[in-house]
Amino acid sequence: MMPNSNFLRIKLSCLLVLACGTLSLAQVAIKQNKAESTPLRQTIDKAVQESWKKEKIKAEGKCDDSTFLRRIYLDLLGTIPSYDEAKKFLADQDEKKRDKLIERLLNDAQFPQHQTTLWDLTLFGRNPPNQDATRNRTLFKQWLSEKFSKNEPFDLWVRDLILAEQEGSELYYAQFNNKPEDLTESFSRIFLGTQIQCARCHDHPFSELLQKDFYGMTGFFVRLVVMDQGASGTGEKQLKKFKIGEKNSGEVLFSGNQKELKPGKNGEPIKPKFLSGALLEEPSLPADYKEPEFKSGTKTMPKPQFSRKEKLAQWATAPSNPFFAKASVNRIWSQFMGRGIVHPVDNFGTDNKPTLPDLLDNLTEQFIAHKFDTKWLIREIVSSETYQLGSKGENKESLPKHFERARIRPLSAEEILTVMKVAGGDPEQKSEGSTGEYFRRYFGEPTNGLGDFQGSLSEHLFLNNSSNVRAFISRKKGNLADAINLSKEPWDQRIDKMFLSVLTRYPKDSERAKFAAYLQSEPKSENLVEEAIWVLMNMSEFRFNH
Amino acid sequence: MNDQSNSSECKKSEHFSRRTLLKGSLATGAGAAIPNWGGLFHSQSIASMAQKLGKRCILLWMNGGASQIDTFDMKPGKATAGPFREVQTKLPGYKVCEYLPKIAQQVDKLGIIRSMRTASPDHPDGIYHMHTCYKQSERMPHPELGAMIAKYLGQTDADLPSFVRMGPTGNAGSGYLGPRYEPFGIERNGNMPYFTSPYLPAANESRRNDLLRFMEAEHKKENSADAYESHRVAKERAWRLLKAKSLFDTTKEWPKHQELYGASDFGRGCFLARKLTEAGVHFVEIGQDNYDSHADNFVCHKANMQILDPAWSGLLIDLERTGQLQNTLVVWMGEVGRTPQINNRAGRDHFIRGWTIVLAGGGIKGGVVYGSTDADGRDVATNPVSEGDLFATIYTALGVNPRTKHFVGTRPIWATPEGSKPIKDLLL
Repeated sequence: MMPNSNFLRIKLSCLLVLACGTLSLAQVAIKQNKAESTPLRQTIDKAVQESWKKEKIKAEGKCDDSTFLRRIYLDLLGTIPSYDEAKKFLADQDEKKRDKLIERLLNDAQFPQHQTTLWDLTLFGRNPPNQDATRNRTLFKQWLSEKFSKNEPFDLWVRDLILAEQEGSELYYAQFNNKPEDLTESFSRIFLGTQIQCARCHDHPFSELLQKDFYGMTGFFVRLVVMDQGASGTGEKQLKKFKIGEKNSGEVLFSGNQKELKPGKNGEPIKPKFLSGALLEEPSLPADYKEPEFKSGTKTMPKPQFSRKEKLAQWATAPSNPFFAKASVNRIWSQFMGRGIVHPVDNFGTDNKPTLPDLLDNLTEQFIAHKFDTKWLIREIVSSETYQLGSKGENKESLPKHFERARIRPLSAEEILTVMKVAGGDPEQKSEGSTGEYFRRYFGEPTNGLGDFQGSLSEHLFLNNSSNVRAFISRKKGNLADAINLSKEPWDQRIDKMFLSVLTRYPKDSERAKFAAYLQSEPKSENLVEEAIWVLMNMSEFRFNH
Repeated sequence: MNDQSNSSECKKSEHFSRRTLLKGSLATGAGAAIPNWGGLFHSQSIASMAQKLGKRCILLWMNGGASQIDTFDMKPGKATAGPFREVQTKLPGYKVCEYLPKIAQQVDKLGIIRSMRTASPDHPDGIYHMHTCYKQSERMPHPELGAMIAKYLGQTDADLPSFVRMGPTGNAGSGYLGPRYEPFGIERNGNMPYFTSPYLPAANESRRNDLLRFMEAEHKKENSADAYESHRVAKERAWRLLKAKSLFDTTKEWPKHQELYGASDFGRGCFLARKLTEAGVHFVEIGQDNYDSHADNFVCHKANMQILDPAWSGLLIDLERTGQLQNTLVVWMGEVGRTPQINNRAGRDHFIRGWTIVLAGGGIKGGVVYGSTDADGRDVATNPVSEGDLFATIYTALGVNPRTKHFVGTRPIWATPEGSKPIKDLLL
């Protein structure tokens, strides 16, 4: 690397820090003091409750212990408690049992796994592009779960994702191989909470986003090169490895409004520009610079003299970035509260205002003050009274706008599969070959794209008639159906066990009586027990986290 | 356009694989709550019931793209004409291909658009575009025509899905309308998709379902969220669909209708479509393989038309006979037309500069030939029609406002693109 470009690089990064860093450092110091005086959970409750007053909303009271138990298990671990765990928790008289449970689950080995599942889905979606590369994401998930296992600060793992220099992390870029525009859309949506894809084809009709803003961001990705490092395994299990290189030259060519495009018209090169920010200052290349030809099959390339992705990583994850911390807090909030304070979570903008703007600012400031500590943020959210509200009542909204009642969110495909195994009494059960694929297909995308749940016919045909689902229910040595059939306890107690195992609650008297009559309607109980467990697993109460 | 890649792509759609079957069975829908399937069929009450239920649509999907010059836009005497001769239709002065003799007798029912000028020249993008009237490259989850019809004409409390399809068909699904309007995929002989055969004896299934109903009723007393209701409704729909399953079975009636529709899978699908729309399914799509004749265009088209001619004309005759025609729009189209020039393998390639789509029945003026191509068929000469115009015509004929607005996130999107205009000359 040439000495003068090194110098430039240092100078530039200093400038960046100077320009946007000073103010926020002072802010951080102040907020840290404030953070210690009022726990965030109380700030949340105060803000939410004030908005109820203002909107004259009658809110639900605190949820009961079994609702809380199921909810917190699903939200933190993506599963439900076993019968024994549920029984123990519900019998526990300790006033601090909820806080203790939260702490235990946050430190459970499944917690980072569940976060990994959620973020993997956010970053790749159900049908990622470049299927050959993205079908098997084992390495990416390993990389990500290490981050969550260490509770690495949110800004740091995102920085590493942008740099894409650690094994596994490259796959996020690899899915958008040679499609820097698609990568721009994904990145801006997820980490900047901004939908700039409209500006890909035309200037945004009702915000200030211009096409040049979109292509300005694309400039940070346009020089990336996905280098295939070979594969191991075959078929569905094939695992491909990649490295990400970056060229010294190459620009986005901008050719104006898509509708007015004429064939043969060449675009003009666009300089990289931070979203709603400054143009990237970068050293110009020598006039006679010629990019070495990149041959397919190349496995390494030298670092560029000036790395645009490093600049993007610095800018994007800086506390002073106007989008990043806010978008991240909002997204993490929505994991637990069902909807963002800005909703949908990836659509910040003048036309989509936050419901609780002060709270969102507050959360953002404190997240920064706590050095992007994800676990801390999650702990505060789930410890709030707001999170622990009841889920019943007459309100028809599944995702109440003012958080006046717990949200009703469908379990993900992954959750349903895990939960059925736990509920059926055999958490380690291996599923039939295509079961996972069926679950993803029938439970994978249950909303209309606006977040509203829509039950589908195919989901229920699968639940009603498939051997894949039946496998988790019917009697097998050691599972729930087996235990119920073998038990000599009175039916009432066996029914309690069924309810606690599947729904994490005791039955109401009316339910217990109905089940008792049902289960004794024939001399042999085996069929009846299977049918009864199927009923519990098919309830809407089971389908949702409530 | 690369012939080789096309022909390899095209082959995939030729068989009804397990995978397409599964994809197609992502399903939902509506129809009408009709209690007695057995007694309904062919009864006198059908016509009046149909009026009460409103309009339906049957889409005959010519997978791969049928040739306009070898069907409805013949160019006799021109270099592009090909070997087929013309046959006189019921409409004075208008002739069609000799292999569509039965359809020639139904032209008084048809609105023929000979001036389609479209924008997506290949299969996946053309199939997407001609099912949604939007470009695939916009990367928006646009819903298919069938999903829109399911949403706007379907009934929520119906026993049957509102959107049924068979054979090679669309590739967009219900898009932003959501899983409620997903197509329900079956085979053209009426065979049902996976997971439609209960594993329990009927009596056990029935008591089990009643126990679930009891539990849901208990739950509903204290829980009102929409999401729960959507789950409960979908469960009931799945049960009702299986009760109505016999409707999909054409084993008994098919021998009696085989002569009218022609003894083919596609013909049987057309018959089933008529039966289903009559019973309250609002949109049925049937695909016919495979018009993608990059080689041996004339062999391919002759064979296909011999299946198409009786099936399509039989469908129109049967719809008329049962009083359904004025309520049932029948659309005949594929994703592209075929080139006027004949290539060195006696094939025709994909063509989007001027091709033909035919509408008939519900809301459409029959005996109208709209638009034209130039002497050799190399471009539209008069009245070009876009995908959006076609869809605006279809929506208008079915009573759906073509400028119906939806939101995806905060982005507004309309049933048809800005500037789309229904073809007034074709609408009743």
